Amino acid sequence: MRIERLTLGKFRNYETGNVQFADGVNVFIGENAQGKTNALEAIHMLAMGKSHRTSKDTECIQTGEESALIKGEITVKGHRSVLQVDITQSGKRALVNGLSQAKMTDFIGHFQVVLFAPEDLQLVKGGPAVRRRFIDMELGQTHPKYLYHVTQFNRVLQQRNAILKQTEIDWDYVGVFDEQLAIHGAEVTVRRRRFVDEMTKFAKRIHQNIAPGREQMSIEYNPSIRSDDERGHLNVDALAEHYLTLLRQRRHQDFQSRHTTVGPHRDDMSFFIDGKPVQSYASQGQQRTVALSIRLAEIDFIYQEVGDYPVLLLDDVLSELDDHRQTNLVISMHERVQTIITTTSLAPFHGMLEGQMRLFQVHSGIITG
Amino acid sequence: MWGYPEPIGRLVEQFMKLPSIGPKTATRLAFHVLSMSSEDVEGFAKALHDVKHNLTECAICCNITEKTPCSICADASRDDKVLCVVQDPKDVMAMERTHEFNGKYHVLHGAISPMEGVGPNDVRIRELVQRIGTNEEISEIIIATNPNVEGEATAMYISRLLKPFPVRVTRIAHGLPVGGDLEYADEVTLAKALEGRRQI
Repeated sequence: MRIERLTLGKFRNYETGNVQFADGVNVFIGENAQGKTNALEAIHMLAMGKSHRTSKDTECIQTGEESALIKGEITVKGHRSVLQVDITQSGKRALVNGLSQAKMTDFIGHFQVVLFAPEDLQLVKGGPAVRRRFIDMELGQTHPKYLYHVTQFNRVLQQRNAILKQTEIDWDYVGVFDEQLAIHGAEVTVRRRRFVDEMTKFAKRIHQNIAPGREQMSIEYNPSIRSDDERGHLNVDALAEHYLTLLRQRRHQDFQSRHTTVGPHRDDMSFFIDGKPVQSYASQGQQRTVALSIRLAEIDFIYQEVGDYPVLLLDDVLSELDDHRQTNLVISMHERVQTIITTTSLAPFHGMLEGQMRLFQVHSGIITG
Repeated sequence: MWGYPEPIGRLVEQFMKLPSIGPKTATRLAFHVLSMSSEDVEGFAKALHDVKHNLTECAICCNITEKTPCSICADASRDDKVLCVVQDPKDVMAMERTHEFNGKYHVLHGAISPMEGVGPNDVRIRELVQRIGTNEEISEIIIATNPNVEGEATAMYISRLLKPFPVRVTRIAHGLPVGGDLEYADEVTLAKALEGRRQI
């Protein structure tokens, strides 16, 4: 998978922008606050339909302007197509080869990226919401059906919680939403479990290569809907049935806290090194190695699911990797994976990429190649 | 408003109350009205007035009508045994265009949506239950609410309320549009269609 060309109009600090990428490594170099990350954000939006930095699309429109445009020519499995996102003050529109897509979920999945940014450390250190968002993003860009179930689940959950906030609760009325909640909740849980299992396989192997000594990493999925029956884990119908029982059992707790206390919106996952939880026991360096392993595992996961490698976006992270092996591994990716890097200095690449990269200077919203 | 003579400004504001009409369109419409003949403008005003004052809800099916009972409820040639429950008056028109349904209707005027403050008492569910309770001829209820979260919840709510009554409650099928190609169907619709398959 490659992005061949990126065109921007009124996007963040870019009045206009036009970049033609090379197959291997592309480096955006410039001082801070010149627009390097904005360019990565635009590429990310072509894949995910939304920004990784904000949930307000209008923030991406240049100050004082009506609308912004992002257009990318991409090649996936040898086929070229054009993706476009138009953001206006009143909403956004996504186009594939000039055809407007009725739903954002129809747009997502045409093009995949893996983004590694300094804030990725939050995957390990942050709260469960960060990890759920990670799963939603990654599964969403490879499995559109997953996005459908998550969206439906959230909608039903909001409706159910709205009843739980009323002064008097009619449980028969609440129950009207339980069945839909159970079906979508079970679909989400089963898909998340499969995803974590697959990711674990890839992340373990990568971690062995970049971690010092013989440290062993593992990942565990902690679903809110748990079934005692081990075999029932991947059976949607059995899990939905079980979720319905849990919803009935927890009515008291739901009433007390005025919202639904069980379901995939309470899921989490945990990371371990040699059996010890990374969040509380590991050093900053170990945590970073785990975060990097998970991100790089996505590359293999996407290849397995989609049949082509995603585009790797590295937002100012190379200077943070303290280990030569890690830098080496990331850089060596470009043989299979088109890589786009932002950096303030070329020092981290010293001696690694002589003559193999395309360099772009970024200065006050102008990119020169 | 915006320096226009007061009557124009007032008309612009009125047009802006309509769905999907912003200030620009509203201004264009207001000036268009100014250029129309007096008869046309009066006809327009009368139509607006009549739609509100000459229409009521049918006492039986809750559909909008000029006189109650409405023409469908009053039609003796239609089957009294089957009742089709829909969300909107527009849905009745859609069903009628099929020429396939010869039963009668019940219009809910919405779907249950707690987050928007619409509960079971805010749509015509009570009227439906009352109607079924007092009319023993009715033997089947077809629930044709929209296939989204709110429509499904409404269908579920009605089906539970109707448990004590000796009526068959059915839900319309979800599936592929006729005349379409399988390959263009989105996967959720396709999955639904697969679920609702039948023997041939």
